Amino acid sequence: MEQELNRLRLEAEQALTQVTDPEQLEKFRVTYLGRKSGAITSLLRQLGKVASEDRPRLGQLANEIKQHIESQFHDKKVELCDDRAENRLGTIDLSLPGRYLPFGKLHPVTQVMDEICSIFEGLGFAVAEGPDVETDYYNFEALNIPRHHPARDMHDTFYVADSILLRTHTSPMQARIMEQQDPPLRYIAPGKVYRRDSDITHTPMFHQVEGFLVDRHVSFADLKGVLTSFTHKMFERELALRFRPSFFPFTEPSAEVDIACVMCGGSGCRVCKRTGWLEILGSGLIDPEVLKMVGYDPDTYSGFAFGLGVERIAMLKYGIDDIRLYYENDLRFLTQF
Amino acid sequence: MKFTLAWLNEYIPAEGMSAAQIADNLTMRGLEVDSVTTMFTDLESITTARVVQVVKHPDADKLTVCSVDTGDETVQVVCGAPNVRPGMVTAIAKPGVKLPDGTKIKKAKVRGVVSEGMLCSARELGLNDDHQGLIEFPEDVSSGQPIVDVLNIRDSVIEVDLTPNRPDCACVRGIAREVSSFCDGVLKPLVPSVTPLTGTGLDFEVLIQEPALCPRYTARKLTNVTVGPSPRWLQQRLTAVGMRPINNIVDVTNYVMLECGQPMHAFDFSTLKGRKIIVRRPSPEENRFTTLDGSERQIAPDMLLICDNERPVAVAGVMGGLETEITETTTTILLESACFDPVSIRQTARSIGVHSESSYRFERGVDPDLADTALERAVNLIVELTGATADPTGIDVYPGKKEPLTLQLRTKRVCSLLGMQLEQDVIADHLRSIEFTVTELDASTLHVTVPSFRVDVERGIDLVEEVARLVGYNEIPTSLPFIRMDYPKRDELRSLRQTIAQLMAAQGFYEAINYSFVNEEHLDDCSIQETDPRRMVTRLLNPLSEDQSIMRSLLLPGLLENIRRNINFQRTDIRLFEIGKVFLRETTDPLPDERFLLCAVISGQRYPEAEPFYFANQATDFYDIKGAAVNLLHALRIQATVSDTTDPAFPQQRVQPYCDPTQACVIHDGGLSIGSLGAVHPKTLKAFGIKQPVYFLEIDLEQLQHLTQIPKQFTTLPKYPSVKRDVSLVVPDSVAAGALLEAIQNKRQKYLESIQIFDVYQGKPIQTGFKSVALSLTYRSATATLDDQSVDKLHNKIIDFLMSEFNAAYREGI
Repeated sequence: MEQELNRLRLEAEQALTQVTDPEQLEKFRVTYLGRKSGAITSLLRQLGKVASEDRPRLGQLANEIKQHIESQFHDKKVELCDDRAENRLGTIDLSLPGRYLPFGKLHPVTQVMDEICSIFEGLGFAVAEGPDVETDYYNFEALNIPRHHPARDMHDTFYVADSILLRTHTSPMQARIMEQQDPPLRYIAPGKVYRRDSDITHTPMFHQVEGFLVDRHVSFADLKGVLTSFTHKMFERELALRFRPSFFPFTEPSAEVDIACVMCGGSGCRVCKRTGWLEILGSGLIDPEVLKMVGYDPDTYSGFAFGLGVERIAMLKYGIDDIRLYYENDLRFLTQF
Repeated sequence: MKFTLAWLNEYIPAEGMSAAQIADNLTMRGLEVDSVTTMFTDLESITTARVVQVVKHPDADKLTVCSVDTGDETVQVVCGAPNVRPGMVTAIAKPGVKLPDGTKIKKAKVRGVVSEGMLCSARELGLNDDHQGLIEFPEDVSSGQPIVDVLNIRDSVIEVDLTPNRPDCACVRGIAREVSSFCDGVLKPLVPSVTPLTGTGLDFEVLIQEPALCPRYTARKLTNVTVGPSPRWLQQRLTAVGMRPINNIVDVTNYVMLECGQPMHAFDFSTLKGRKIIVRRPSPEENRFTTLDGSERQIAPDMLLICDNERPVAVAGVMGGLETEITETTTTILLESACFDPVSIRQTARSIGVHSESSYRFERGVDPDLADTALERAVNLIVELTGATADPTGIDVYPGKKEPLTLQLRTKRVCSLLGMQLEQDVIADHLRSIEFTVTELDASTLHVTVPSFRVDVERGIDLVEEVARLVGYNEIPTSLPFIRMDYPKRDELRSLRQTIAQLMAAQGFYEAINYSFVNEEHLDDCSIQETDPRRMVTRLLNPLSEDQSIMRSLLLPGLLENIRRNINFQRTDIRLFEIGKVFLRETTDPLPDERFLLCAVISGQRYPEAEPFYFANQATDFYDIKGAAVNLLHALRIQATVSDTTDPAFPQQRVQPYCDPTQACVIHDGGLSIGSLGAVHPKTLKAFGIKQPVYFLEIDLEQLQHLTQIPKQFTTLPKYPSVKRDVSLVVPDSVAAGALLEAIQNKRQKYLESIQIFDVYQGKPIQTGFKSVALSLTYRSATATLDDQSVDKLHNKIIDFLMSEFNAAYREGI
């Protein structure tokens, strides 16, 4: 019996090496593994006749040999297999989902903020963050916005004490950094800012990235160049840009920057209110008063500053239409980005 | 700031420029146009029609049946107007047309008679309040013409979003001045000439007691005034820009303000006591004043008032008083055209809570040179509209007269700041185009005189902006700055936050961002004790609501609110984290201490978003949050321990009041606790309305940042195989599995490489009060292959130790 089993194993191995096409393989299967009259099945049936003390040992051997031949058969089958559907019958269901532990995702505001920062970091800007609870001096006075200036109307401010407030922009970092360091300076200041305003298009907290560069001979043309490079990188397209005169007390000349509408490409749609343009950031050359207040000589140094709203850019990039969604932290929203 | 195209064209014809073109040019010059609205679009399909025949309605006394020629046909219309008569030319709304009030005209039967349209009154057309009868056009007007053409009221309203630095453009003439710089045409003067205000022969006086707050005050008296409604053109202009017509006198003052930017006020002269105007601060008892809107205002000592000989009659530059206002019976008026200090007006307006058109302009700065011209214009209009007689002259007190401001502008500086080459005469021409006087000082410097209306231009840099604006920002080239190479400084904490955010996302957590201001009740909801430093909050003086009244001192409440919201929207399986600041006031520093924390929460199924085919029905538990923390610390290579809070080594580490004390751990490095984790206390969950368990983790990132990182240090790969031995021990329930591991580790047994727990079991057949803990120990020598015998010896030594130390026994049946 044992000999027969070993012989069968050799014979089957031998036979299998001769198999070169699926038809022969099928013949092999019937001859050796067939459930009715296959050679192995026949041998297994004879197990009942051997002496009972040999039975477990021989039974184990027979099974091993059977498994061995089956595995060899399977390997051959894979070897001969082409991708015809019938060949896959009886194999695993490839349509079932893959098994994995899913990742979470960063908030879209964080994603866009990190992207903005990394573009500027690539241009050599350093990143600095300041306090959310800020003094009136850094938030307003040092930025050429004295106490009774009408420009304060542009910022609805939350106060925590008489001259302590929640910063209304991240621009205070301009003064804080310039006080500590000498030019050349290239900084961006990302962070949360607060304005006392809440409706469909405003949330009382939002995110801003303020940036500034100070050196000798910095010009408005440089401001245009840097912001153009940034915008093209950010929107991954050479979008048209438009610079418009505007007013910020801490820059002069001041400029608003519009990009060709990312939705309609400039032909006019609902998002751009049919103008073809979208306002994305405010900027300008740093006002000499601001430079003077930190002890820089405005005749020697000049610089530019800009500020952009992160939520706004995320809205344009991802087509988000309601700013309030950002702070509800609804997973149906967070999973989309 | 709103104006209409036709109004603008009165001062500057701007021929060939449409409203849209003008708007575009203004926007590109810094006067951002918000909207351009075509007026009367709802009257487009209303046409003129001639009444041919009028007969009485057979069944109604007050109605007539008219035959009306509409230009291309004759129709029958039932009409109720008293002034209808054959031959008159009026307006018809044909079936299908919508009136401005929304009424849709249909062909209908009126008391049994067919009516094919409606003849309209001026009120029905939304033109004015006249409802006496049908609107009438001259009889030579032909039928079938759009009435907007006949009335010549085709116009567009343009709205400019003015920046605070351009009060000179808060009037139509200011806009016209800008327009004149980009189109052909010259700005027409406001008045042909200005009557000199000599102050002689007057029966009233003006005294300025506070010249610093009132640089100029002009006034003129008009008698024989007839107060009544303004003519249609005036009413229409005011209405078009959103101002309500009141009476001819008030309307003229408003009109002149909108026209040239000079706020004005008219007093009923007969109510002024002592024929005197005194510009002064209030006396202590003058602390209340009723403005012309009928409200009583609190007057503060630092405000500026206009007074007669006895009492205040107006809050200077903000609003007039009720007692001296123009009424239907007024016949003599005193017209004020003055200039006030911007800061004083702003403080007063804020303090009494009145933001009028007048205060808006004074706050930003009104040209003091304008007062007499504007007064002349208003006097002329009142004389023309009411038939009044003006005094031959008026008074002009001008204590604040200033020499015009002159500035020197270096061409080189302009070019260097803008980054473009500009010829000196080009710069000069640009400035001249907006009425700056420019002379050449030398080949590289211009001498510029700033017109008095440009109160915002005070420095050379302001002129640079004007030049840039007029050149056009888009004509300025783009370049990139040359800057010395320098590695930008990195903020370590920011990098750490970014890494942690990535690691948390990699563990399946979604990032949340919540508002920094929260409801103070959160502290109660989290059972924070009165003595806890997290009660020392930073409070907003002017929160939008109670829900957002304090700066947060904890992150967990925000995330719990997010969980509740998600559960409400059927997302019950949640992994969220937030990295954000908390605000604590532990010192006397007026600015709070702002610290970054990480907080993460898990609730519901263990692997939300994962394929339920493989991961269904695995409820999350304590070990998920513990694992998340340990995994994070490993990835950060930080050697902190997560352990039971009852550890006697750290008596100062308390369980957080919002943590279930039976499932609570602290994260620490020796004595320094940097955070905690566990199950949220059921009490807290209840306060947040959450009915399923939530597990949280919180770490103070500044503390974390200061812990030592395990250095990356290579160790030689082992050459010899390891040997593994398992053991299953029965120990009393009270023995923590971790205690077994720790005890073994502390023995520092030679060759013992690692130990792992692979099973913990309670229940049959283990005796109650006991549990089995199965450990897997790996042994290895660095210098030789360990043989079975020596391993057995080591292994037995450890087991013997555990048995005696923990009262353990072999679990039988293994």
